[in-house]
Amino acid sequence: MGKWSRRAFIGAGVAAGGALVVGVAVRQGNPIDRLAPLLTNGDNEQLLNAWVKLDSDNIVTAVIPHVEMGQGVYTALAQMLADEMDAEWSKVRILEAPADKQYVSDSIGRDFLFPDLEVPALLEPTVTGGILELAQAMGLQFTGGSYSVRATGQRAMRTAGAAAREMLVEAAASEWQVPASEITTADSMLIHAKSGKSEPFAKFARAAAEQSLPAKPTLKSPENYKIMGQPKKRHDIPEKVDGSAIFGIDADVPGMKYAAVKAPPVIGATVVSMDATTAKTMPGVLQILNMGDFVAVVADGYWQAQQALGTITAQYDKTEADSLDDDAIFARYASYLDEAGEDGGDLETEEGDVATGFADAATKVEAEYKVPFLAHATMEPMNCTAWVRDGKCDVWSGHQAPVNARQAAADAAGLDFDDVTYHNAYLGGGFGRRSTSDYITMATRIAKATGYPVKMIWSREEDTAQDHYRPSATSRFRGGLDKEGKLVSWDNIHTHLFDPKDAPTVPYYNIASHKIRKVDVPMHLRFGPWRSVDHSQHGFFIESFVDELAQAAGKDGYAFRRELLAESPRHLKVLDTAAKMSGWGSALPEKHGRGIAFVPSFGSLVAQVAEVDMSGPRPKVTKVYVAADPGFVVNPDGFTAQMESGIVYGLTAALYGDITVKDGAVQQSNFHDYPVLRINEMPEVKVELINGDHERLGGGGEPGLPPIAPAVTNAIFAATGTRIRELPLSKHSFA
Amino acid sequence: MTTVRNLACLSIFLLAACGADPAPGPVEQIIVREPGAAPVETAAVVTDAAPAGALLAEGKAAFASCSACHALEQGAPNGAGPNLFGIVGSPAGKVAGFSYSNAMKTSGITWTASELDSFIADPAAKVPGTTMVAGAIADPAKRQAVIAYLESVTAN
Repeated sequence: MGKWSRRAFIGAGVAAGGALVVGVAVRQGNPIDRLAPLLTNGDNEQLLNAWVKLDSDNIVTAVIPHVEMGQGVYTALAQMLADEMDAEWSKVRILEAPADKQYVSDSIGRDFLFPDLEVPALLEPTVTGGILELAQAMGLQFTGGSYSVRATGQRAMRTAGAAAREMLVEAAASEWQVPASEITTADSMLIHAKSGKSEPFAKFARAAAEQSLPAKPTLKSPENYKIMGQPKKRHDIPEKVDGSAIFGIDADVPGMKYAAVKAPPVIGATVVSMDATTAKTMPGVLQILNMGDFVAVVADGYWQAQQALGTITAQYDKTEADSLDDDAIFARYASYLDEAGEDGGDLETEEGDVATGFADAATKVEAEYKVPFLAHATMEPMNCTAWVRDGKCDVWSGHQAPVNARQAAADAAGLDFDDVTYHNAYLGGGFGRRSTSDYITMATRIAKATGYPVKMIWSREEDTAQDHYRPSATSRFRGGLDKEGKLVSWDNIHTHLFDPKDAPTVPYYNIASHKIRKVDVPMHLRFGPWRSVDHSQHGFFIESFVDELAQAAGKDGYAFRRELLAESPRHLKVLDTAAKMSGWGSALPEKHGRGIAFVPSFGSLVAQVAEVDMSGPRPKVTKVYVAADPGFVVNPDGFTAQMESGIVYGLTAALYGDITVKDGAVQQSNFHDYPVLRINEMPEVKVELINGDHERLGGGGEPGLPPIAPAVTNAIFAATGTRIRELPLSKHSFA
Repeated sequence: MTTVRNLACLSIFLLAACGADPAPGPVEQIIVREPGAAPVETAAVVTDAAPAGALLAEGKAAFASCSACHALEQGAPNGAGPNLFGIVGSPAGKVAGFSYSNAMKTSGITWTASELDSFIADPAAKVPGTTMVAGAIADPAKRQAVIAYLESVTAN
């Protein structure tokens, strides 16, 4: 479709069930005729634009093109829309957008594809449309990368709210015969002070539809925020407390049967044959399937399916990975790094002359760090319910990229995208695991084979051993200090690079020369984005090495970082805040230590100070002080919770996280051998938030994680003098 | 009836039909029965497993819901309910380390199969004052299966 035509789409909107639909704030084309029937119920609800619905009871519904996986995004995004619209918060409801390509987040696409692109008018259709096409090709209706608030919220939800407000004002001005500039809005009311008139938004919903879509709605400046910046209660919490929340695993389809699955222990192997003699006779069993890449049992109940599956013996073919173990994988990393030497590998970034800088350095420091594979261990194991029949397919699950999930189901069912309906539910943890679609594909293939609806649930063992893992990695550093102990040379080479590409870089540290390279090494296990992705390892590598350099320079870790950040006041403030919160420099009991780490990621600056107690046989992290500057905090309660949960997840990995490989297979299976942090191990966490730049927001979901591991290991060094260069800490003895 | 279909050719068909990267169908598909159809195998027609085996399997499956509170392995700790290892034939209220209600302690019951049966059917009716507030099994056949399973678990 060419240029957006207001008339055309208003007509279409009225036709679609009587719902009046207005405007697509940052959309080219006219999706409303298709979206209105998906989103509205009868005459009483008006879809104001792709993100706003207004009903006759003056309820404003924010349509959220992101998924809720515990991060509170529904609430934060609704706050952004409601604030710009001047909606009454208690009358704001939330609806997750359908898995429709119209909701593909072009604002995310823009950040992925053109991070530095400044669009003069946010609504400029050509630019947006072009990026939208690219984003659609990439299937981004994506929740991840800590992008929701900073991209969709900042660029789409706020604009949509402001546009809806302006259209309502225009409608009221026309009805009341007063200048629009004399009309104010507050709490979902339109007010004309001079004449004393005031009416609820709902009264003008239809008339608003007849107004021109504002070319560039005026966004509020921070001093006028009423809802943004407030710790509004999470919309999803009550139903998660009372148990009524529906997760993917709760899908309930009439006639649904259950599938249990088992894939070859060596990922990538094929099931050559299976012996299902016993399984066939077991209660409830309906079908037993060798799908080639996995075995499935379909039964009346999940337990029956799982019990029958347990009796099946399968033969797998041999693969090259059969002899692989961790030593071999790390040996391979080492050989690739050795081969790259001082100049090989792929150059990521270079400034100045590292070789000369290092040669001339008064003090030279070298170190190598390693991290293991990590599983996601979401509380809700992978699951998906699918029904393929009559040329149609319905799929129920929780997925971070619903459009991708819908496409995966279409491919698996052999159907067109349009013949698949994807029903997304809450995600019982995502962390990146639910951005891959393997479990959608598997369930759809099973359902296609059976012809009736099937809910496939992975056992915890399957979930642990068949994950897409945070890769293990090795990183080597050489650093040079001048005779004043100033860092002048930084040379790093590490294995593989996925995302974000800036994770290994340290542009915020003032270092005269630096060079960062990578080598791509086959690693056998499947890569999966894992909360904070490459920052999860590079945060540890970089901030450990900075601490080693500080030690070599005879300087305090905090003071050394201060020098490196001296020209970046915003960064410095974050570092200083964390240090001050922690009482940095004050005395601690014997065998206690403090460590500091600073990692900017996903647009947010985060510093953490950890305190550890090393008096026992194992490290105990007692306190963590967090200072974070994401530009502007939309919901302080939600953002704080994200910092805390990033620490839980990152501390779990630092203390215990270790997926190991033997004979090509993952050895861990459940929480006894892949433990997660327990409540009695949780440190006291204090968070201070800084609003450093309200125009360029950073993310919240991931940036809390990268600093925790190095803050803890630096604290262990402070307490014991032992430098940890390999995670997890459970590998090390402190007795 | 058990039917086995070999559908290896299906994936080739899909490959032709869909072009790139098709999702393969099953290599082997064993259809034991259709949904809603009566189970084809009953204890009587299972030839390679003794009838007792089927009963025990059913009991074991049914015990899964009991295992939320009761351990059944020798020496395993008590949960919300006592460890039931060796319970059949034992006097009530005597499992070491479990804090019984007075009602149970003084019940004088010996857990024969029939005593267990009436207790599991309605614990509060059989022993008014028992702390077993969940887990009653209404289905007599299922109770029999669970009791048979309890009896079958012995040290080995």
